[in-house]
Formats: sequence, structure tokens, C-alpha cells
Amino acid sequence: MVKFILDAEQRLFGETLHKLLAGTGTPEVIRAWAGGAPDRGLALWRSLADAGVFALAVPESAGGAGPLPVELVTAFHELGRHAVPGPLAETVAAAELLARLRGGPGAGETRDGDSGDGDSGDGDSGDGLAAAWLPRIAEGTAVVSLALPPAVPYALDADAADLVLAVDGDGLRVAAPGTARGSLDPSRRLFPVGAGPAEAHTAEAGEVLASGPAVRAAASAAFGLGALACAAQLVGLGRRLLEATVEYAGARRQFGQPIGAFQAVKHQLADVLVDLEYARPLVHGAALAYGSPDFARDVSAAKAAASEAAYAAARTALQVHGAIGYTDEYDLSLWIRKARALRSAWGSPAEHRARLIASLTGGRGSGGGP
Amino acid sequence: MNIVVCVKQVPDTATERKLRSDDKTLDRDAADGVVNELDEYAVEEALRLKEAHGGEVTVLTMGPDKASETIRKALAMGADKAVHLVDDALHGSDALGTSYALAQTLKKIGFDLVVLGSESTDARTGVLAAMLAERLGVPQLTFANKVEVNGTSIAIQRVTDYGYDKVEAVLPAVVSVVEKINEPRYPSFKGIMAAKKKPVEKLGVADAEIDVAQVGLAGSWSEVADFAAAPPRAAGTVVKDEGDGGVKAADFLASKKFV
Repeated sequence: MVKFILDAEQRLFGETLHKLLAGTGTPEVIRAWAGGAPDRGLALWRSLADAGVFALAVPESAGGAGPLPVELVTAFHELGRHAVPGPLAETVAAAELLARLRGGPGAGETRDGDSGDGDSGDGDSGDGLAAAWLPRIAEGTAVVSLALPPAVPYALDADAADLVLAVDGDGLRVAAPGTARGSLDPSRRLFPVGAGPAEAHTAEAGEVLASGPAVRAAASAAFGLGALACAAQLVGLGRRLLEATVEYAGARRQFGQPIGAFQAVKHQLADVLVDLEYARPLVHGAALAYGSPDFARDVSAAKAAASEAAYAAARTALQVHGAIGYTDEYDLSLWIRKARALRSAWGSPAEHRARLIASLTGGRGSGGGP
Repeated sequence: MNIVVCVKQVPDTATERKLRSDDKTLDRDAADGVVNELDEYAVEEALRLKEAHGGEVTVLTMGPDKASETIRKALAMGADKAVHLVDDALHGSDALGTSYALAQTLKKIGFDLVVLGSESTDARTGVLAAMLAERLGVPQLTFANKVEVNGTSIAIQRVTDYGYDKVEAVLPAVVSVVEKINEPRYPSFKGIMAAKKKPVEKLGVADAEIDVAQVGLAGSWSEVADFAAAPPRAAGTVVKDEGDGGVKAADFLASKKFV
């Protein structure tokens, strides 16, 4: 039996981020971001960097404090809880990608032996990119978007990003994003990067900067960290949705009593809590598996469970709130829509279950890299 | 400059606060402990003064073992070291007893400037800074919304009902701050991790040469005789507007001597 209890420092870090975000008032930031005015979102981004969030994914030798996956999921739980907009998981995944291509600590040594970057003729380019961008990611002066088709086909919020990367197969490119597509979540804009599904081919593919098995391995690791960060965000989103719904069920009266006093409402809310409580240790467990051969498998289990739990929280929130839940002006809608969008971002529950099954049945099927 | 900032752990104001039925002191187990909000402004001001003038910031707290959480938070914000005055003999001390215990400790550890929040959210006496200055025999500069140090002189703006007073003194001195003075920083991850390695000195009453007859419940000059839960708020007066709502509202306000 493993207990995933955060230590005093990790708890203080999470509480600090919660207070910072509560003090910022994220609903205003989210609406401005959705309306194409990213200034407040970018200011918040720098505050989060000052608090040390992005440095958690950047190796110490490149100006960061990482890699620290447990602290990272602690932070992303709070980012989800406050529905912070922007390519958050994308930026930490890009940091992982660049850190591995640079071949520094956190690269080959802790992994199984498939990072043979000796045969990558363009290693220097990946290295140069890493040296230029990793310190900026850590200090919050670089917002990075990333596409890893097929699982992550579009670059999120590429219009607000300082760097857009795309890995297609085993080639890494700096992408020139095409025209944005809308998302279920108005605060998410999805940009084709000239790779992946046919409809995404409206953008010009950039020059390939690095290629080879090292890029493929780095992209696989980056996908793992991005999906893990997204899973932590989903648990945080679900928690906030449940809190808001419990509060509403206690305040809204019908038939002479609070609607939360009705057993059918209680059961729905209890089911959401159980789902979230099952997902949370999977997320923490996957963070602990970082660097081990089980990491990809554990991340898939965590992302599938977190996606379903947060989505259940969103559906229950909508049901219990009634018509007010549909209202655009009511902040709940910001959380409901993000939960639905993140459910399928970084791999849908079905995709992650397929990965999980493939890893349990000997690696055949869809268990490979993105 | 040797700056000491006094911080207090108080029950979270967002939760229900209780007194213990046995000795009528605060029930610290009934609510989560948090840093007294005004003390965060005091820590921030101490850090800013250090950043501008050099020196070091020491956190001083008096409280049970659990108060170490509050020390950790202040160290994570950037203070250099901490002194934790912790002893069962101090339990139940009133403001006079607390000011005596803290003054004894401050005499022992030394200071150029003591910074405090102007009051705590639990006891709300707001007198500790003045008592401390008196006991230490140094100037008191209270309710500051601005602090300037120039060499050995210190000047503050003291917030009043009608604006502010300018108050000047020579160091060493005691300053208490109000929430308008600054915006406290959030501890960063680096700050939180660095705080783990910062020294925290634990002192008992004997270490600080505190006379136990002057502290604790028995040594306190004030006493809680009795307490009761706040009565539930009475229902308000509903004025039904039948064309004369304005007059009725005005009559009501007049009856309460508002108009």
C-alpha cells in the first residue's frame, strides 16, 4: 500500500499558488484570453514563473529546478482548479522535449536505452534550440506551444506563443502555425502546424531542425509529461467544479429545502467525489514513476481516469446547477467547457486506455510514441 | 540593519473560531492555523527594508509547536532565520504577558528595528507594539502605511481617521504596519525549498530569562470571566412600499439616529 501524501513544502507550494490565483481572479483573465487580449494572461504567466512553476520542468543545469514531476502535478492541480488559460501543459512538455534533445541531466541516463542520439546528424540544432529556450521557459519569458501528432495534432494558442514546435514522426520543426480553429473551450485556440491529419495541412511545414530516434524518444517523453500535467489540471478542474456544485446545492432551495438535501443529488455529488479521489492517486503515482519504464503506462492510467472524473464533475455540475450552469456570464461555464476540452486534449480516455492495454499485453498495438 | 519581525499564528478567519470550555483560552485545534494577515505585511516590509538597506531579517514568534508552520511561511517569503519562543508556561498569556515575554527575547537576540502587524485577527487588542516599545524603552511608531529608514533615523506615516501623521524617531525602534503599506509577496518554490535549510532557534522561558510569574494564565492581568456564542442575527425590518416607502425608510433611519 502506497500513500501519496505531499510533504509540508509541496503543500505550502500548492497553497501559495492557490492564493496567488484566487487573488488574481482568473475568470476575468480567461475571458480576456478568449477575447484575443492575452496581456493579463501573459502577466499571470510571469507571476506563475516567478513562483517557480515552469522551472519545475527545466533541468537545473539550464536555469530550472527540475525535473520535479511531483511538484509539477501539485502546481498543475492548482492551475486546473483556477482554470488558468494558455499552453501550460504544452510549455512543460516542450521543456521536456528540449531537455532530452540537449542530452543533459534528465535525458538518457534515467531512461531505458533507446535514446541513442549518436546517430542524429542534426543534434546540434536541437541542442541550440534547447540552450536558447530552456532558460526562458524557466523564467517565464517564453510561452511555448507544441504539436505532437497524432495525439496532439494542433498547437494550442500558438498566436500567444513565442515558439511553436512540432514533431512529426522523428523530425522536429519550428512550425509556422496556420489559421486557428475553435475549441469547445473558447479560451483555447487550436492551430494547424502543417503535419498530422489532412485538414491540418493548411500551414507550411518549417525546416526540420533535428531528426532521428532521439527525437522520437524525446517526443515520447514530452508526451508523457504533457499528458501528466493535463491529468493534474483535470483533477483540479473537477475539484473546483465539485466545490462550486456542493456550495450551490446547499444554497439553492426547492420544495422547502436545499436541493443538496435530496438523496439523488447527494448521490451524484458523492459519485463525483469518488471518481476524483480515485483519479488523484493515479496522477501522483504516475508522477512518482517519472524516469521509470512504467511512466508512459502510469500516465495513461492517470489521464484516462482524470479525464473521466473531471468530465463527470462537469456534467454533474451542469445538472445540479440547472439552467444557470449554461449561462455564459456565470463563471461555472468556464470550468465546464475547459473540463470537456481537456478530456480529449493530450489523448482521449479511449486512446489512453488503448495505450494502457497495449503496455499490459506486451507493447503490441497503439502503445508506441505519439 | 538587524530587523526582527514578530509574527503570530492565528486560527483561520474563514472557519469558526472557538474558546476552550476548561481554561477559556483559544481552541487552537478547532481551526487551521494561518499567519496573521497583517503580519504578512510586516514580513514584506521587513524584507523590503533589508533589500534597500542590507542587514538581515529574523522572524520571532511565540506559540505552541504548531506555530512552526507560520515560521516556515515567513522564511519561505525570504526571512533569513527564526526564533521560536515555545514553552507550556506561556500558554494563556495576555497582551501584557506576551509583550513581556517578547521583550525579554528581543533583549536577548538583539535588534535595530522590530516590525509587527498592527493587530491580530484573533485577540484584536492592537496594543502589543506599544507595550513592546515601552518595555524595551525604545520609540514606538505605530499604524504605519509608509516606512523610511535613513541611517539611524526612521520616519513613518501614521494612519489616522483624518489622514496621516508624520512620526520620526531614532533607531532602535518598534514599528507596526497596516495593510495599506505594501503587497506581500508569494513565496516561490525556490524560497520554500530554501526555507528548509534556514536556522530556527527554539527558546524556552529559561533561555529567554522570562519570569514565569509574569506570563501564562496565572500571570495575566486580564481574565476571561465568561463567554457565549454570538446571538444569531435578528431578522431585519421589512418596509413594504405602498407609495410611502421612502417616508417609512427615512423614519426608520431617523429612529436609529442615522438622519
